[in-house]
Amino acid sequence: MNDFTVFRLLTLLLTAISVRCATIEGRVALPAALTTHVKNQRYEVVSKGGVVATNPPLAVVYLEGDFAPPSAPVTVQLAQKDLAFVQTLLPVRVGTRIEFPNLDDLYHNIFSLSRPKRFDLGRYRPEDRPIPSQVFDKTGLVTLRCEIHEHMRGLILVLNTPHFIVTDATGRFTLTGLPAGKYTLKAWVDSTTTRSQAVELSSDSNLRVDFP
Amino acid sequence: MKWVRAALLPLVALASAAAAETWLDQVEERLTFAAFNGHLHSRLSGEVSLEAYQFQQPAPGFLFTSGHALFNPRLALFLDGHCGENLTGFVQVRADRGFDPGNGRLRLRLDEYALRYAPWSDGRASLQIGQFATVIGNWVARHVSRDNPFVSAPLPYENMTAIYDREVPVSRQEFLAYDPTEKYEYNPIIWGPAYGTGAAVSGRFGKFDYAVEAKNTGPSARPEAWPITHTGFERPAFSARVGYRPDLRWKFGVSASDSSYLHGTTAPSLPRGTTLRDFRERLFAQDAAFAWGHLQVWAELFETWFEVPRVGTVRTIAGYIETKYKFTPQCYGALRWNRQGYSTINDGLGSRQPWRNALWRLDAASGYRFSPQIDGKLQASAQHESSHRNAFDLHYAAQLNVRF
Repeated sequence: MNDFTVFRLLTLLLTAISVRCATIEGRVALPAALTTHVKNQRYEVVSKGGVVATNPPLAVVYLEGDFAPPSAPVTVQLAQKDLAFVQTLLPVRVGTRIEFPNLDDLYHNIFSLSRPKRFDLGRYRPEDRPIPSQVFDKTGLVTLRCEIHEHMRGLILVLNTPHFIVTDATGRFTLTGLPAGKYTLKAWVDSTTTRSQAVELSSDSNLRVDFP
Repeated sequence: MKWVRAALLPLVALASAAAAETWLDQVEERLTFAAFNGHLHSRLSGEVSLEAYQFQQPAPGFLFTSGHALFNPRLALFLDGHCGENLTGFVQVRADRGFDPGNGRLRLRLDEYALRYAPWSDGRASLQIGQFATVIGNWVARHVSRDNPFVSAPLPYENMTAIYDREVPVSRQEFLAYDPTEKYEYNPIIWGPAYGTGAAVSGRFGKFDYAVEAKNTGPSARPEAWPITHTGFERPAFSARVGYRPDLRWKFGVSASDSSYLHGTTAPSLPRGTTLRDFRERLFAQDAAFAWGHLQVWAELFETWFEVPRVGTVRTIAGYIETKYKFTPQCYGALRWNRQGYSTINDGLGSRQPWRNALWRLDAASGYRFSPQIDGKLQASAQHESSHRNAFDLHYAAQLNVRF
């Protein structure tokens, strides 16, 4: 059996698996755009613009149910660049280790006092290794801040599911690779708003769910 | 101190509320404005502080009261604005019982306002005009409560020397007769953040940064002299700082300042043939800072010369080393060792003596972050002044801050 045959068999197998998985697509109605942040530069010697752009409003859509725990520890990164978090909203599965690489040429000091995860990474440089990290082992919303740059904000949504996705700026989402069964589909919009809808997925269903 | 506890308890209760963080974040978002298609941005923010002091007389630092306790509530409002890529500005307004708290009533005060033009995006130079903090040293950049691990300022920024700017000594004996009950008549070497009025040019080249300022008052000038409405530019004060940052962990700097420190009303009392410009305050300072992980260390050393009418040149050296360590995400501890010494002068009676008692002070503080916007600090200080009848003076301070 040559390499080409192996590749064709693998492709067929993956296609067969994907056919048996369900997909949900839809749209979440998002709130009005967030304001931008204005940097406090009162006592800085160097000025480089004062407005920090933020992402447009985003939502996280996730499937709530009883899923097997991950077979191996998961590590993801949430970087800081240009005095902002590269992603302002990051959903992760509970138990995930998040590394916080500093891509600026100055210090950052990321911390959170949110109940699901209280931590303070201290001051760290871009070249510091290992990259400062934390394991997020409780579900909930974690608000990230920088002790040095008070305008910086980031959100980590720790979920007890492997099936989640961040919407695009218009609220559209497509959640693929879902197992068949009865679940609750939820849309986290902000810290006080989570919408939900019961869904029943068959092995090859393609469902549309909109959250008004 | 029952009234202090009564004032602090409601805010401590507020601090424990988990909702406070979200609510204060929402307040912050509501106070950010944009106009002209995003060309103009501004943000209004503020801080409510409750400070309580208990101390032995004479009151330490910038506290001006004859009692043994003082409560000072403060509201500070900051407006930070940005117009296009190159123009920024800020305003700081405070309502409290005085820049240097005493028994007075609450009053509103404009402490800082400035416009900054930065034509180059690489930060090589910017021009700032207005009333703003001095460029000297490294404490000013962290003097607002959010960044200061202590309630009080380091000793060089708040300890009164025997220099006075609103009168001229008639003799050496009078100059040497420091009267602690008239503390406000005297001057420190640098009066807090020294919010004088003027212009500054600052910028960065590689690992070096610089700042040069020309202001209406020198570093030792008292707060009422800072506004342009009080003091003009007849005798401008010049200060400069050059900083070197070999890597992110270390910062070093040297500062220098030259100013005429006597108030204009003293001119008729000056010795014949001299003018106000002859009596200078010259200051040279070195500063260093280290930060890594949960540890931060700062140190500054000031050497200052005053030319005093009928006395001559007197010198003082003041410095401190300060460290802060975060034990947990919410709790930190800080220690600061401060010291100030004085040169000796001829007392006019045939012997020499220091022109003010040498002093050391140990400050210990601990802070707790109830939420990202709410924190509390406790500070205890032991102070010893040479020739003082008590071995130590003990001072205590507490501060609760709510930012929005």
